[in-house]
Amino acid sequence: MTITPVKLWRRQKETSALIGKIGKIVLWTIIRVPAKSFKEQAPYPVVIVEFSKSGLENSKPERMILQLVDWNQKDLKIGQKVITVLRRHQTDDNEGIIPYNIKCKPIG
Amino acid sequence: MKISILGGATTKFGELWNISPRDLAREAIFGALANSNIKSTQVEALFVGNMLSGILANQANLGSLFAEELGSFVPAMRVEGACASGGLALHNGINALKAGVYKTVVVLGIEKMTDHESNAITNGLMAAGSDEERMAGATFPGLYALIARAYMQKYNVTEEALAGVSVKNHFHGSLNPKAQFQRVITVDNVMKSAKIADPLKLLDCSPISDGAAAIVITSDPNPRAIHNKPVEILASEVATDSLSLHERESFVSLKSVVKASQNAYKKTGIKATDIQVAEIHDCFSIAEAIAVEDLGFSEKGMGAKDISKGKYTLTKGKIITNPSGGLKACGHPVGATGIKQIVEITEQLRGVAGKRQVKNAELGLAHNVGGSGAVAVIHILQNNL
Repeated sequence: MTITPVKLWRRQKETSALIGKIGKIVLWTIIRVPAKSFKEQAPYPVVIVEFSKSGLENSKPERMILQLVDWNQKDLKIGQKVITVLRRHQTDDNEGIIPYNIKCKPIG
Repeated sequence: MKISILGGATTKFGELWNISPRDLAREAIFGALANSNIKSTQVEALFVGNMLSGILANQANLGSLFAEELGSFVPAMRVEGACASGGLALHNGINALKAGVYKTVVVLGIEKMTDHESNAITNGLMAAGSDEERMAGATFPGLYALIARAYMQKYNVTEEALAGVSVKNHFHGSLNPKAQFQRVITVDNVMKSAKIADPLKLLDCSPISDGAAAIVITSDPNPRAIHNKPVEILASEVATDSLSLHERESFVSLKSVVKASQNAYKKTGIKATDIQVAEIHDCFSIAEAIAVEDLGFSEKGMGAKDISKGKYTLTKGKIITNPSGGLKACGHPVGATGIKQIVEITEQLRGVAGKRQVKNAELGLAHNVGGSGAVAVIHILQNNL
């Protein structure tokens, strides 16, 4: 996918606020046929992670869809604890920038 | 106002390397016109359903492009809603007739995919998803794999039960001369096929296809004067939901489908059980399992099991789903799919579907979905004999 420098700059503030959040895997899959820009990373897991909002009772849990990194087969289970980290996003890019993005890794 | 389908046609679906998009469009349009007893000069507007032409082939402006092939420079425009582009184009065509702007229009669905390499297509299809999904490296099979995981876990459904969807649709496809795949497969074939996005395997997934389909619709109050077997469109309903899968309340039901179908049932007074034949958007095996539940054909959690047991199989079931072979076996040229479904239901209601004819079909439903459920289009058709 194309990520322009402007788009990356615009999301910078939001991105840094998302680092270090702890949540749990609610669904997972392993992508074996990726899109072009993820070609060199496959196979890799994509997970939906649920983060409970502390202090807010009965609030809808916040969810994110993220790539899982630094993983072993045993980490691919519902309920696995993960933490969000900043990682290099994809390999090729027409704009010549090296985009970083939020991914998550297993903990505990 | 009564909206009728006068006729329709599809090209063969498949890897059609020797056929250009223009050739596909011409074949579908003139096939539909001939089938409708309508001349190209009687067509007042052209609606085109297409998703990927701009992304894959750098070809936009499809209204004008295909008006050239119609041979008549009528008002023409392209409608996009991912894999529901065809159904949405029809919805727009119907609305234009209802508004009284035109009396007779052609709706064309078309997609040319196999010219391009698979990673580029995977990338192009993700245009239907959200930024967050693309950033995570998700693919369409990946998103449906997440839905499959949730469904299997919640209702204790096996991968073998999901495989039953593909087995049924390949059986139906084996009876359809236009289908991309005309061979039967077994549950074992599905289970042993290569993994695409766990737990979905190659034979759980609809293929990459080329193809086009077109129909002629009219608001003429006496359609029988033009064609002796007109089919009436009783309902055309669209509903949307969040673009991202992870934003949804439920992962085991598509709210857009429930909403659009409930609206269609309410407005027509038709119940799910009144329907004899349905074309379902089985982009993946899991999609049809959930669809038959969301449409009210099966109980929650019973979709995959019912399909595997033959509840929707030709000659066995009361409601036959995907007699064309569905997206899985007939093929899935994404923009063409929604119109191909309408052509199939039209042929079924006219009783001209040959070996795959559903007996005594009077009411048919078409279920067309875009993205991972971000948009759903439901049409209900009735034979007007």
